[in-house]
Amino acid sequence: MEDLIDSLTRGNPTEVKVVLASVVTALAVYQLVLIAVGYGKLRPPFLGARPASLAHRASGDAIVAITVVVAVMCLSYYGFEEGDKALHMVAGTALLVALALKVAVVRRLHGLSRYLPMIGITVFALLVLTWVSSAGQFLADR
Amino acid sequence: MDGARLNIAQLIGSLVVAAAIVAVVIVAVTAKLGPTSTAELEAREEARDARIDAREERLEQREERREDRTEAP
Repeated sequence: MEDLIDSLTRGNPTEVKVVLASVVTALAVYQLVLIAVGYGKLRPPFLGARPASLAHRASGDAIVAITVVVAVMCLSYYGFEEGDKALHMVAGTALLVALALKVAVVRRLHGLSRYLPMIGITVFALLVLTWVSSAGQFLADR
Repeated sequence: MDGARLNIAQLIGSLVVAAAIVAVVIVAVTAKLGPTSTAELEAREEARDARIDAREERLEQREERREDRTEAP
């Protein structure tokens, strides 16, 4: 797996991971705006609630896919490291659990739909924490 | 424009904005990372090694020619 990642990223797994994680984080901020429109908290004249919710769902699917790719790269290339990466490891693991819960509630567990805003904000917070504790640090050190 | 068409147009517009955000982030982060990626560094190192090898080879050839000249009667 390590060799596959190395060849796919042409020897730059960290850089590719940083780019992908940054894309996901930026999209997550956009997701907040979209769902605020979807729930009617924001009412821009150029975007209705229904298309905003649909766009939120579509880019959310993309976020899940990219996050899983980044997680697989991270785990198979770096594994579980102790020490200064503990926060990143805990935040990343919690993020995957929260994302799985959100997908389950959206697709199957409709009875828990009233918790979606809370789960969504948790996913966003964990995503930002995961990014800050790894990609953000990496970019700041450059 | 009727409601359904308006919704589709707004949905497409929202997705285009998402694609634009992705493009901007890729460009910005890649620019920040700069040409110091591992592949780039390896390529630079290989080019430097090749230059050093070529120079050493030229020096050896020059040395050999000089030795040939001194050995020749």
